[in-house]
Amino acid sequence: MRARIRAAFAKSFLGRFWGRRSLQERLALIFVPAAIVAAIVTVLIIVLAGPPFLDFLKANLPLVRFVVAATAIVLMTIPTAFVLIYLELKVIARMNLRVGPNRIGPWGIGMSLIHGFKVLSKEDFTPTGADITVFTLAPVVTYVASVMTLLVIPFAPGLIGQDLNIGLLYFFAMGGLTVLGLLMAGWSSFNKYSLLGGLRSAAQIVSYEIPLTLSVVGVILLAGTMSTNRIVLAQSGSFADWFVFKQPLAWLIFFIAATAEANRTPFDMTEADSEIVAGFATEYSGMRFGFFFFAEYVNVFIVSALATTLFFGGWTAPFRWPWSYNLNWFDPLSLGFLVWLAIVASVALFGTYFFAILARIFGGRAWGLWSSLGLGFVFMLVAVAGAVGLAAFIAFDWVQGLFWFMAKTYVFVVTFVWMRATLPRVRVDQLMGFAWKWLLPASLLNIFVTATAVVLLNR
Amino acid sequence: MSFVPGLGIAKGMALTLRRFFAPKATIQYPETAPDVAVRFRGRLQLLYDELGNLKCETCFQCAQACPVECIDMGGFDTRGRFHVHWGAAEQYAERREESALRRSGRPVPDQAYTHFDPIDTADVDGILEKYDWDQKEMLAILESIQRAYGYLPVAALKRVSQVSGAPYALIYGTATYYRHLRFEKPGHVVAVCLCAACLMAGASRVARTLAKELGAEMGRVPAPGGLALEQVPAHISGAPSPLVTLDGKPHAVGHSGVAAWARALAGGNVA
Amino acid sequence: MPARQHVPRQPNARGKAQAAQPQPQPQPRFASAEDVSPARFASADDVSSARFASADDPGIMLDRQIGGLFEPIPPYPPQTEREAEFYSLGDGEMFLNVGPHHPATHGVLRLVLKLSGEQIVGVDPVLGYLHRGVEKICENSDYYHVIDQVDPLEYLSSLFQEWAAVLSFEKLMDVKVPRRAEYIRVLSGELLRVASHTLFMGFLALDLGGLTPILYGFIERDEIVEMLAALTGARMLFNYFRIGGVNGDLNHEFMSRLGDWMTRAGKQTEAQAGLLNENEIFVRRMRGVGVLDRATALRFGVTGGNLRASGVPFDLRRSHPYSVYPELDFNIPTRDEGDSLARYLIRVDEVRESIKIIDQCLHNMPDGPVMAPLPRLLRPRPGRAWGACEGPRGMLGVYAISDGSDQPFRFRIHDPSFLNLEVVPTLLPGNLLADTMAIVSSLDPVMGGIDK
Repeated sequence: MRARIRAAFAKSFLGRFWGRRSLQERLALIFVPAAIVAAIVTVLIIVLAGPPFLDFLKANLPLVRFVVAATAIVLMTIPTAFVLIYLELKVIARMNLRVGPNRIGPWGIGMSLIHGFKVLSKEDFTPTGADITVFTLAPVVTYVASVMTLLVIPFAPGLIGQDLNIGLLYFFAMGGLTVLGLLMAGWSSFNKYSLLGGLRSAAQIVSYEIPLTLSVVGVILLAGTMSTNRIVLAQSGSFADWFVFKQPLAWLIFFIAATAEANRTPFDMTEADSEIVAGFATEYSGMRFGFFFFAEYVNVFIVSALATTLFFGGWTAPFRWPWSYNLNWFDPLSLGFLVWLAIVASVALFGTYFFAILARIFGGRAWGLWSSLGLGFVFMLVAVAGAVGLAAFIAFDWVQGLFWFMAKTYVFVVTFVWMRATLPRVRVDQLMGFAWKWLLPASLLNIFVTATAVVLLNR
Repeated sequence: MSFVPGLGIAKGMALTLRRFFAPKATIQYPETAPDVAVRFRGRLQLLYDELGNLKCETCFQCAQACPVECIDMGGFDTRGRFHVHWGAAEQYAERREESALRRSGRPVPDQAYTHFDPIDTADVDGILEKYDWDQKEMLAILESIQRAYGYLPVAALKRVSQVSGAPYALIYGTATYYRHLRFEKPGHVVAVCLCAACLMAGASRVARTLAKELGAEMGRVPAPGGLALEQVPAHISGAPSPLVTLDGKPHAVGHSGVAAWARALAGGNVA
Repeated sequence: MPARQHVPRQPNARGKAQAAQPQPQPQPRFASAEDVSPARFASADDVSSARFASADDPGIMLDRQIGGLFEPIPPYPPQTEREAEFYSLGDGEMFLNVGPHHPATHGVLRLVLKLSGEQIVGVDPVLGYLHRGVEKICENSDYYHVIDQVDPLEYLSSLFQEWAAVLSFEKLMDVKVPRRAEYIRVLSGELLRVASHTLFMGFLALDLGGLTPILYGFIERDEIVEMLAALTGARMLFNYFRIGGVNGDLNHEFMSRLGDWMTRAGKQTEAQAGLLNENEIFVRRMRGVGVLDRATALRFGVTGGNLRASGVPFDLRRSHPYSVYPELDFNIPTRDEGDSLARYLIRVDEVRESIKIIDQCLHNMPDGPVMAPLPRLLRPRPGRAWGACEGPRGMLGVYAISDGSDQPFRFRIHDPSFLNLEVVPTLLPGNLLADTMAIVSSLDPVMGGIDK
């Protein structure tokens, strides 16, 4: 039936016309009308539905804010994952007395991008006998569950996705959903290695959830609230106000349990690639595996971010900023468009030229005309970004907060990577024995001591 | 086992942290050449002696001795005469026989070799002198020998090889390449002249008739003792057109009588 | 629908390709699982590809069912009683094929594990994936070629293979090796022992999850192997020992590299040991795991560090001395526990002992020729000889039978890893899946030697 329709089409005028077109003509015939139609439809939408939509947005500003914040957070995870992949490769390499990737891009920073492209371009297959729906959804569940937890992390004084009253509870609830994704992956792959990996991961994450949450209870008792924003504010007095000094045992338990939650060595039994090949991710390839990969690195970031928030003061600076400098005297809008254009153009041109000359002087004959200009342009951009950042740092407190938050988080990220480079894996039964026999009683002890101290000190 | 739990882990992590800042052991290969030992025999290069000459003589001993037969080589011999090649043949079957046979040290027979009868080599020496013993004129030499003897006797080829220094393989290869050179004594040679005058007189039709009746192709190597059909190299002056020669002598035959004469020839009668 | 086999086009005797012949489908011969009892396969003629007629009785061997496709492990009926018993699943058990393609099996080793959850109930190791027919090749090579062929057996420590072969040949031909050659042999052998043990530590850590020690091991090994390249001409398959000596004398480059290395001898190995020896995680993974007691070890013929870790102070360099080892002063580290940690620690100690031996060799190196005068074509008298040396993994032996011609008649290689791996079915059951790697890696198998 389909064949007959196809034959009839081929003989008709339209069929013959289409067949005689070249590839470019065909593409133009499709896309130009589509573009025109899209433009008309867009204009119509803007004209007809624009004002009511804007009124709707103005009426629901919190919704707008939420949507923008959520999008920004989701978009932020991607470069974060790239940076973390790069860090992992380089830091582990350096600890192994070798230089990591250094060929792609300067110092190898192109490696992450190449990993991303590679993962996108691989063949996407499902194994025979796998449950395709569950198989496809598993990485999505893992990734989404990880990213949702970022909503309650305070990045800076004004930058938090949603300041929930039960922020920490929400965090742990969402974090627990990742185990669902891993189980789905392990079960649906129809592969014994994946099954073993999935079951191990379920056992591990479930057993380490409890010490994790219980160790955080001490912090909640001290701060009096579950809202992450207010926990950070409770530590904002000075360096000594950080909860790590008041709750050292909780910090230790939290760190160990967080390593297990993020499936990092020494607790990476779930993907122990010398025993069960890749654990739950054995049958995954291409972008599906990329999702798991991303989810793992984002998990590391999230766990570091939580450690910073709960124990190390979040976005507060470790020392009091000695002076406050405000740029209120400078009103950027007063200068006018033309002046701004002149400033930007002159900075761009002179900066490029200046750095090009420097490159030529120091780099020698290796830098011809265009390559030195290109390098100059890049350096100019970096310098301008640095200058703008510095000005923002001085002027805006949210920039400062973001900077300190990211610095502390990345210290913990590097610690995780450092542990991965150094330590071998813990066996499954030893892992769970450790959680149930040592961490759980220790965290209960911590709660008891903290509660007693709070009651006594308040009296 | 230390008394403080976690101390071993801490010491390990301190070690890796120290190593993070230590100089790295990586050699950036294309920019830095690694420090390879002088005696390293993994270098794929041919050696030169102190005068700048290549030491390898393409003697194939290494290729023959290699236990995995992985050496494939070719080159010019030391006199620069010809290019030789030794290596894996394209097909596995061919490779097995040839390689084992050659490796055994026994001579590999040449299937087309026939034992040669001694002949008078004075003509050969004369021809060689005329061409100045030049190997590059091999085709002309061979054609002269064929004209002198009617075919290429093996003894003549051996004589050429011995006197001029050209290897027999070269001569043999040249001789087998061209279709008009033959190694067997032909029965009779019928030749047709295809110069412009004879062609205008109808020589091509004569040639076609002869080919059909004699059952031979122009220029083909005949069966031993069979009739050979050839082209006369140059028109013999004074001979009528179309010129047909039998064993080199002009034979007067017209258009009408060609077919009958050819049939008679083919039947064995020589007119 | 059963799968058809694809037969590629093969040239026949005349070189012409034949059309692909479809294989005949195997005939169903058995109606139920009872027919596949071991008694039926008493003779080898009964082995054929059998198919079960019904999907309802899994019985033996059927491991996985994908829409009608049976996938048994192994794809032939059990041929011995042990196999029949092994390949029948109990309640809640499953087969896991830690297959030849695996990141951590030290080469192509296949272990069919019968697991009950994570606990190992039985092991069936399958060898032979790296079999290259070395012994047969050696029967067709003359005595110089044999040394070259026998290198890739234990490729990580190939000088010891050559040493064993050369020892047996020297006994056959009654050749006396000059003293300088002996010292050079000991020197290069001990250097290679350090390199091999360093790699062992690295691989063990890698199998347990630590990424760093192996790279330190390779840095150390790279230095040693570059040294040996300056001496022998190659980095891995050295082809250096000869019957009656060694191929070339020491040269300046080797001595300078060696001296340079001796100033920081074993530094990376010590770094590895520092990362691992006291690491609580590592120790807890290895202590008490895979305990090989003395009687079992002796019964299976385990040699080398594995035997010494079980309390038997057997080292060929002291018990059946060869070469110049009687003149050298070194200890044989022995431990009593017999678990994986002991096997690991012994090798760390052996590295230190080897460095001591290298030091003594350097100081006592005599002068003289490095090769005994021998004819070009070697034709020993008909006879048999056994030559064995102590390799990093155990006793490497060669039993050579000569029939008076220039090729050995029979060249039997006794490989230590082969016997070391025999204890795996005894050690593994009862442990967890994660201990597989700890145990197998601590035995230090090299598949090249096992499969020959």
